Amino acid sequence: MTLSRREFLVGCSAAIAALAGSRVTNLVFANPADTTARDILVVVFLRGGCDGLNLVAPTGDRNYADARPVVRVPNSGSGAGISINNAIAPVDFRLHPRAASLKELYDSRNLAIVHACGLTNDTRSHFDAMDYMEAGLNDDKNSNGWLVRHLNSISASGIMPAVSALGSVPKSLRGSSQALSINDVNNFRLQGNSTTYTNQQQEALRAMYAAAGSPIHQVGLSTLDAINTVNSKIARDSQNRPLPYTPEAGAVYPTQYGTSLGNALRIVAQLIKMDVGLQVATVDYGGWDTHGDQNRFFGNLVEGLALAMHAFYNDMNRYASRLTVAVVSEFGRRLKENQSAGTDHGHGNVMFVMGGYVNGGKMYGSWPGLATEQLDNRVDLAITTDYRAVLAEILSQRLANPNVAEVFPRFSVPAQPLDIVRATNGQPNPPARPMQPAPAPGNSRIFLPLVRR
Amino acid sequence: MTLRLPRVVSDIPEAPALQATPPVEIIALNRMAYGPRPGDVERVQAMGLTAYVDEQLNPSANPADDSTCTERLNAARLRITYTRSDGTRVDEMRPLRTITENWNLEQLYAIRQQNGNEHARPIEEVRAATWIRAIYSKWQLREVLVEFWHNHFNVDSQRDLGSGARISTTWPLYDAIMRRHALGNFRAFLEDVAQSIAMLIYLDNATSRDGPANENYARELFELHGMGASNYLNDLYDRWRDVPGATATPPAPVGYIDQDVYEAARAFTGWTLEMGQTIVSNQRLPDTGKFAYVERWHDNAQKRVLATEFDSNRPAMEDGRRVFDLIAAHPGTARFICEKLCRRLVSDTPPQALVERAAAAWLAAKDAPDQIKQVVRLILLSPEFAATWGAKVKRPFDMMAAFLRATSADVTPNSNLFSAVAAMGYTHFTWAPPTGLPEAGSYWLSTAFMLRRWNTLLGLFGNNSGGYATFALQGQIPAGVTSSRQIVEFWVNRLLGRPAEATTLNRLLDFMRQNQPADAPPTGTAADITSRINNLVALIGMSPEFQQK
Repeated sequence: MTLSRREFLVGCSAAIAALAGSRVTNLVFANPADTTARDILVVVFLRGGCDGLNLVAPTGDRNYADARPVVRVPNSGSGAGISINNAIAPVDFRLHPRAASLKELYDSRNLAIVHACGLTNDTRSHFDAMDYMEAGLNDDKNSNGWLVRHLNSISASGIMPAVSALGSVPKSLRGSSQALSINDVNNFRLQGNSTTYTNQQQEALRAMYAAAGSPIHQVGLSTLDAINTVNSKIARDSQNRPLPYTPEAGAVYPTQYGTSLGNALRIVAQLIKMDVGLQVATVDYGGWDTHGDQNRFFGNLVEGLALAMHAFYNDMNRYASRLTVAVVSEFGRRLKENQSAGTDHGHGNVMFVMGGYVNGGKMYGSWPGLATEQLDNRVDLAITTDYRAVLAEILSQRLANPNVAEVFPRFSVPAQPLDIVRATNGQPNPPARPMQPAPAPGNSRIFLPLVRR
Repeated sequence: MTLRLPRVVSDIPEAPALQATPPVEIIALNRMAYGPRPGDVERVQAMGLTAYVDEQLNPSANPADDSTCTERLNAARLRITYTRSDGTRVDEMRPLRTITENWNLEQLYAIRQQNGNEHARPIEEVRAATWIRAIYSKWQLREVLVEFWHNHFNVDSQRDLGSGARISTTWPLYDAIMRRHALGNFRAFLEDVAQSIAMLIYLDNATSRDGPANENYARELFELHGMGASNYLNDLYDRWRDVPGATATPPAPVGYIDQDVYEAARAFTGWTLEMGQTIVSNQRLPDTGKFAYVERWHDNAQKRVLATEFDSNRPAMEDGRRVFDLIAAHPGTARFICEKLCRRLVSDTPPQALVERAAAAWLAAKDAPDQIKQVVRLILLSPEFAATWGAKVKRPFDMMAAFLRATSADVTPNSNLFSAVAAMGYTHFTWAPPTGLPEAGSYWLSTAFMLRRWNTLLGLFGNNSGGYATFALQGQIPAGVTSSRQIVEFWVNRLLGRPAEATTLNRLLDFMRQNQPADAPPTGTAADITSRINNLVALIGMSPEFQQK
């Protein structure tokens, strides 16, 4: 039978109420059998190979200054880096001077830094490295994504378990029929020119796209489902129009640099608060391939990253106890700068983990040093922590995944845990800065008042 | 009532399911052209595939032979608005002068001296011209291949907007390189691209000098322009002599590693542009945008690329040219590029036997001026080309062009059209990473992009049509076509060139007849019938069948 839009809305609300059971006021994990509490994981991918040596710079290391007469973070004078505590080596480490917002997150223990971290495969190709990393494998870049295997291994279900806040779905989520992309929540509907015809067209599309099982058909159906979900869950005003999204706690997403990242994180925030059962979300932030004139671009990128992460974390303050954010990039950059005042493709890099149960305010990993014989291939920062060690810990500690080996086959989780995150025990970390009172809960309430029978 | 439950988790298969194969002229017009215009199917059917392929492989250089397109290009006006520094407004419907008047380097480079709002104008003019050619040109295959090569040798045309604007102001010259070599010789193509303003700035070789060289261009030359990531063996070998075949006589390494990238980067040091740089204190390059080779910046010591020795102190540019010779002659390059061509023209998962035959032809013709033409001909006349259907998703540009062609729309490209396809993921000439827009469907098939496809087609007939296309659909319906069923069948045939799936057909018919008999003319006011036909045609464009090729 075909459901009309109205029938669907009614059905949907009943389903949500049933699936959520007694936890209607809590985050909805729509699998009725699954009452496990899990963090929502947001993965931020810095595309292009972020220069971790300038994002969290070993300014106290003589080799760093020698290799980078131009492209470096100074440790004194104007534009000096921001000192941080609890470094991993007796070396002065500094955040890039434009990363003040990250320092605030770090000092309030919501942000942890892992250095000399990354993909141990020897490739220096962006596209290979991203493929390997998103596959979560060192030896097969064409496998399905690691987030897909995570969703499968916990038998994730629910109306909207995985979302890319971009137009496309990244490779880490590719291969799952559950992965949606939504880059504009408030306009996520069919926009025709006559309500009657548009509704008929929507029904016709459902029948057409249900008629076969090709990837085109599957995506068409997912699109129609997502339209229904978004429009049944979005907060509306008294005239039933979708309300514009208002960030909480005075959070301001960046408007000058990092706007694309800010917009994407804002969409993730909006969807989380709509209680659509989001479990993993991915966002991208590109432009890090700084082969030439790096100083002109890098600071702007860093500021955008820092402001967007800070805004998102404040906006999500009510959810801090069940939110983990991981920031990765495909590789770091060469220690020695080139003659274009840029840096070429390197190896080891920095990684961030942010969340309410992150053991933040601290650097993790072990520092291999920057003397020539300590470098990978004698030119690049060596890797002492596989990025999967960090992700695996997040999956097992925060996302209640008992089968991390299924997600990262052929990878041995280190016997000694990094302890970057802790289980939900005791209080989460304090907010990064004093919060304004939370607004009326209109944005976060479960959908029910919309049902008109 | 039935609850719609969440679908069971299932992995999407990599390769789309193959559909029943339509007649070869439908395949040809969808994959070596931007979809059929009215009459095209009959024409190709009458002349046969071989004659059509040969016609398309030999486009006339005379604009008069493509008069509709030439007239459209000459008549096109693209708006430009901004405020000058003195506060006065510019608001013009301006012709595509850089295209129709064939502006040269000097003229284009001088745009840099104008108001910054003029600096992106040449990109917009190339975009508009590209749409006009895709929709109106007779030489469809050339347009398809120009698009292919633009993505193969991808440059983000806006990369240096606001910081020199050399790429953006001279964008028509980069487009001209794609057109000049689209059916030509790959080795010659490589060198023209390497010396172009666009590539020299985009991949930073213009600033690469001895000690240490900038590796960006050299790396992508191997990985994206030439041999491909599948021949990058850095995870297997650290030293050039360990690569299988490296120590044979003559050297024949099966792939490349980082050592080859480092050495090739050294080979290209000194390949730059005249941008007013200081060479030594009293010696400066002029700022003309012309290609320049600066010996002083070149690393002259001996090198080894793909296991082949380069002596020290060779004549100007010989090192770089030898790198091109080696890459262009490598069997890995032949396979990589032929696989890409097959992926574009046949299937996202092209038959390996076809790729191998194309690669053999590629190598055999490596010194021929029409090397690419020979290989494309082999692919288009292969049994695999005619036997494969539905294994590709139309990218947004194809999808829109095909819709506008099939409906005989009157199209005057504008920025709304450019942003419509950008919102579907097709950032025309502004794809930031050097990979070029993805070819495979996995990128284009997402819920956000699918919704944009649907809404763009719906929007064409509404109040926010974007102003780039007007339609006269009813006037195109032949006299004998009167019933709802006939109207649906007529438009299905126009857009798909073949019958739709039963479900699709029934749904379209239900929409058109609105509970009235299918074999009677549609009922309602004249305005309502017009609106219904418009919405019917949009709905055919939104169907799964229309997204395939």
